[in-house]
Amino acid sequence: MSEESKKRLSRRKFVALTGGALAASGLLAACGDNTATTAPATTAAAPAATTASSTTAAAATTAAGTTAATGTTAAAATTAAGTTAAGTTAAATTAASAGAVADFVTSKSGFKGSLDYWALGYAAGGGNAFSKSSDSAVATFMKANPDIKVTITGYTADNAGFAKIVNAVQSGSGVDVFRIPNDSLPTMIRDGAIASIDPYITAEDKADILPNLFDLVTVNGKLYAWPLWVPPVSMYLNLDVFKERGVELPPKNWTYDQFVEIAKKLTFTRGNDKVYGYSALIDPGLVDLWPIIMSDGAVPLSSDNTKYTWNTPEAYSGLQKVVDLVKVHKVTPPDFGTQKLDDILTAFKNKLQGMWSRPSGDAGTLVAGGVNLDIWPMPLGKSGKPVSAGGVGLIAVTPNKDTAKQKAAMDLARYLTSPQVEKDVPGYFLAPAARKSVTVVSPYNKFAPIAPTAWITPSLPAWTQIRTLIHPNLQNAVFGKMTPEQALSQPTDEINKLLGQK
Amino acid sequence: MADVDITKASNPARPGVNPIQDFIRKYGWSYVFVLPSMLAFTVFTLIPVIWAFIISFQDFRPRGGGGWVGFQNYTDAFTTQNGVFVEALKNTAFYALVTVTANIFIGLFLASLIQPLSARFQTFFRAAYYLPAVTSAVIIAVTWRWLFNTQWGFLNFLLSLVGAEPVRWLSDPDIALQSVILSTVFTIPAAGVVLFSAAMGSVPKDFYEAAELEGAGPIRKWWSITLPLIKSTTLYVVVLYTIASFEVFEKVYIMVPSGVGNSTQTIVTQIYQSVFQQFRYGVASAQAIVLFVIIATIAVVQFRFLKTDVEY
Repeated sequence: MSEESKKRLSRRKFVALTGGALAASGLLAACGDNTATTAPATTAAAPAATTASSTTAAAATTAAGTTAATGTTAAAATTAAGTTAAGTTAAATTAASAGAVADFVTSKSGFKGSLDYWALGYAAGGGNAFSKSSDSAVATFMKANPDIKVTITGYTADNAGFAKIVNAVQSGSGVDVFRIPNDSLPTMIRDGAIASIDPYITAEDKADILPNLFDLVTVNGKLYAWPLWVPPVSMYLNLDVFKERGVELPPKNWTYDQFVEIAKKLTFTRGNDKVYGYSALIDPGLVDLWPIIMSDGAVPLSSDNTKYTWNTPEAYSGLQKVVDLVKVHKVTPPDFGTQKLDDILTAFKNKLQGMWSRPSGDAGTLVAGGVNLDIWPMPLGKSGKPVSAGGVGLIAVTPNKDTAKQKAAMDLARYLTSPQVEKDVPGYFLAPAARKSVTVVSPYNKFAPIAPTAWITPSLPAWTQIRTLIHPNLQNAVFGKMTPEQALSQPTDEINKLLGQK
Repeated sequence: MADVDITKASNPARPGVNPIQDFIRKYGWSYVFVLPSMLAFTVFTLIPVIWAFIISFQDFRPRGGGGWVGFQNYTDAFTTQNGVFVEALKNTAFYALVTVTANIFIGLFLASLIQPLSARFQTFFRAAYYLPAVTSAVIIAVTWRWLFNTQWGFLNFLLSLVGAEPVRWLSDPDIALQSVILSTVFTIPAAGVVLFSAAMGSVPKDFYEAAELEGAGPIRKWWSITLPLIKSTTLYVVVLYTIASFEVFEKVYIMVPSGVGNSTQTIVTQIYQSVFQQFRYGVASAQAIVLFVIIATIAVVQFRFLKTDVEY
């Protein structure tokens, strides 16, 4: 072979090799580990009181902490009994703490391999309180089960984050265990994207979990997720602003009028800055403003979730109260209605916000950041009954034909909702727990007495459409573009039609 | 000298050789080189588009189930959610009309300003004006959100210097969409400036010299020589910006994530809401097909009115 032909050949060979290398690298990239190690998350992440279901969750919840412990673990039962009387938050928090709990951490699945856990608000490297506690909890699980490796992926506590997890689960890719609010659950159950927990839940678990929460995770008689916590919307009081303005803390059963008076006092000018008395997020995925709308006695849906019921005078007067905060009392920031979480969080940290209605998740972040705050129930309306709103945080598992892996995933989910995880990682629970035997620490324990008053967003497939029908109308009422009656009555027909669909 | 059959000479038929095999032998490698991009186009563009079209007639569920529903998704796209998709269509059309017009004029204006400069300065300004194109759209949107903040925003700070009342740029439904449009208009149309500048640079100088001899001034030359001779570039830029305007999403999503009533809803934010927040894959696909038809129709009209046969 001549030198020339050798050269020609080598050039061809070069091209072929290059093509081969490109193809191989493409394949490698495709097969490689693309596990996102998390999403951003500036704030706590925890229990966003997104939507969830219509039962009034909690009644049980509350007491939860108190009466609790009866069944479950023996130790828990012992302590809980003593705390019942108090009927307070403290009671809830002390409950089962002293005693030993059952072994939730050891997996008897025999599974050897990796599990992917998607956690709401998790940021790699301990970016926030929940990230640190999640890392610790998962590390404890892996230590107890050396053959199982768990990778955590984060997603944000907003509509985009929920969309990310729901679509990841529905596409069946890379998710074994995941956190999810209860209102997103029905669609995924309908699509077969979630495994039933029936074969794995024990009688002790059933006795420990607040009974009314089972309705939210039951479809066709099967249970589909492990309830984690119930984060109720409550009023964050910025105590430094209260002190600066010489405002006394109100009684816990404060009325809307008292709330307005305080909000007015907390609205003032400090140097070049304007301080505002009250704010809340208005977003289709959140219910932070809803307790005020419900305070006169109207709830969005009938108790059997078959009819839209926010088209009543009580509902209109409830929304009018919100509108009055903006238009009459002028205690809200100018961008009220379109503010982002970071806007309010930053204002609250910088003492530019006096009060903020919000679920429990951000309380820990603020306290850790040195903010002097307290948690209060939402003000009473004409109904005279304390009202809150929220969703139920759940941990669900995707279906897997590998029975050992399925069992291991269930074991992880069960551990992450158990009293043992709070014992192993104190402060893991960022909201009142869904189990009677769990003890939550401050400041989350302050939400425990409020949880029983929470209207829980419904576990309905149509809820995702219903909430986007209601949301722009609430905004338009706040902006003065619709009257409260127009805003709440206008979507009646379409919502009732959605509720009527099977 | 014998006659030569030119056809045969240029394309000699070789008895016993399969023409297809012969073609592959001669040109096969060329196709290997275009194969990756063809595969990428097929997998990431062509198949999804076809699939979206199919899904638009189904009650699609990612894990199976569902079924054919005819045109129900198209009906639902326009009639459900209180008809917000119609409002989104209007908002998007308004956004496109204003931003495309403004971007074309700003692009032309800036390119015309650059044109008389020396080569070195032209390069500098082209690079400077192209910066927005290589900056993350998210960063630009976040910056504009800060500029528009009612309490701490720079625009209201400027207004306060002249004693004006603060404007609720992104929280007043009457002006929120206009604020988003303003942010687009004030972000230099990078591609437009560079393309127009290049097109103007390629116009032969002879035309301008002849016009000067005839006594034409700068504006006359610009109007009668520059504009007609860069018409093909104008068509390209107009089509490019029209498509981009109808697909506006990230700017709205970042600046007003919770919306401002429905005043800032656009076609793509609606598609996003339908699929990622309501999980109505069929309806979202129908909305996407409607968007495709709108853009294709407008592009055809633009080609019809702006096409040119002028060559130089």
